[in-house]
Amino acid sequence: MNWNGVAASSKAAQKWKAHVEARDREVGAFLQFDPALGGKDSAASGPLAGVPFAVKDNIAVRGFRLTCGSRMLEKFVSPYTATAVRRLQDAGAVVAGKTNLDEFGMGSSTENSALRETRNPWDPTRVPGGSSGGSAAAVASGLAAFGLGSDTGGSVRQPAAFCGVYGLKPTWGAVSRFGLVAYASSLECIGVMSKTVDLAETVFSVMRGQDPMDHSSLPWQPPAQKKRPWKIGVPRECAEVPMHPDVKKSFEATRALLKKLGHDVREVSFPTLDHVVSSYYVIATAEASANLARFDGVRYGHRTPRSETPEAMTVASRTEGLGPEVKLRILLGTYVLRSGFQEEYYLRAQKVRTAIRQDFQKAFEGVDLVLMPVYPVPPFARGSAEADPFSQKLADIFTCAANLAGLPAMSFPATVESGLPIGMQFLAPPFAEDLLFSACREVEKVFPSPDAPGFPGGWA
Amino acid sequence: MDASELEVTARMARLSLSEQEREKLRTAVEQMLAHFSHMREVDVEGLAPTTHALLKENRLRDDVESRSVAAEALLENAPEREERFIVVPNVL
Repeated sequence: MNWNGVAASSKAAQKWKAHVEARDREVGAFLQFDPALGGKDSAASGPLAGVPFAVKDNIAVRGFRLTCGSRMLEKFVSPYTATAVRRLQDAGAVVAGKTNLDEFGMGSSTENSALRETRNPWDPTRVPGGSSGGSAAAVASGLAAFGLGSDTGGSVRQPAAFCGVYGLKPTWGAVSRFGLVAYASSLECIGVMSKTVDLAETVFSVMRGQDPMDHSSLPWQPPAQKKRPWKIGVPRECAEVPMHPDVKKSFEATRALLKKLGHDVREVSFPTLDHVVSSYYVIATAEASANLARFDGVRYGHRTPRSETPEAMTVASRTEGLGPEVKLRILLGTYVLRSGFQEEYYLRAQKVRTAIRQDFQKAFEGVDLVLMPVYPVPPFARGSAEADPFSQKLADIFTCAANLAGLPAMSFPATVESGLPIGMQFLAPPFAEDLLFSACREVEKVFPSPDAPGFPGGWA
Repeated sequence: MDASELEVTARMARLSLSEQEREKLRTAVEQMLAHFSHMREVDVEGLAPTTHALLKENRLRDDVESRSVAAEALLENAPEREERFIVVPNVL
């Protein structure tokens, strides 16, 4: 579908806005939709001129609210724009609005949002995935050309897979995090979701590069592109992870397809796979407990109406403003950092993280890419007991490894099983995003992103 | 993790927990800690801890004056203010 100039041309814009108004009542992707406000800061020309995009509501856009899906920031209006968004605006793209998410990016279903319910465009009884569920649902239902999300442990790739679109988690540091509300700084990246590989590639090439406003951002330093056929490694330990039959089937079909396309699909060893979830949750919650300490009710955000002392004000404001999953992660993170427990949890998790990185280094000595499923189960039912918060955390096993190792990874729609999209992902060495695009494009030629029911035909 | 440990941790995190929340959160924290304990099986002898996967050095900007975000726009988000001051309950 052609999105060029849609946000600028009055005839196409009318059709598009009418579609958003009708469709988003059911999907619930946006927390704020205001392309007129977004358009004010966009260049008139450029490679993405007039292309409307959705921004996860933990990424700052001047003049828009920045709620993070939390009561704590329900009324917060951003005074500035994230560098990644500003670069897209300079290339002509237009912010259509801000999308729903699990509170502060903590969750896998977008059900942890305190502000709105988001439904999967393929089946409204199911979740869109998370935490960037709003952006994924917006792209999959044709509410925006592409969506920005943040990926701390799979939060771009998993909702992309659940909604049948592409999802790129870049190399850590390749895209500036200035303007991204911090959750777990050593793990998170701003990433992109789209219906085509080409668009994801264009968006990434506009966003990437070192930024003076983010001292941890890194200069773009791509390795030489590997020639096809590629050596594609499949960790043999994946077989030991409990998987839904539909995901297993899709995984097998993808391996078979890649072989048929002439690639050398072989086993690799990833002995620490069983420990990535532990290492990830210790590190992510430790960093979250520090990053979320800033919400004290003093300078911005929710403040309790009555309190006697500043200390009591901080405790009451946090207690009222933060949801249960956020409180759980703050408590867990505070605990693993406490003196006496730090060595057993935080320090050990950081050493296990080193072992995980070494496993990948070894694997990439023998292969060009690693292939894994995105999530062990298909999109699950909303409010379902089959996916309680603990099992949702265990299910991050395939995604959070890339975050711990800082590697780029891209999820792609692999098959549709029982009427629901199933995603797989490629992982590559640092800064080898070009290889991810090439590999996803080969699959796309055979199996493009499938259209969800009600996907619009175009805006002409 | 017993109830008093949870209470100490909550106090450090500046959170106050209701009776109902306390039981729920204690169970959830314990479940995660039990899972974390499997990391003991990994041989980490001689491994240095990773703080950042790819960051090699601290990058500093030149020490020159530059404009940041407008202070007024930041102050507009303050819950309670008097001119350019943020109001909080009495400290003393």
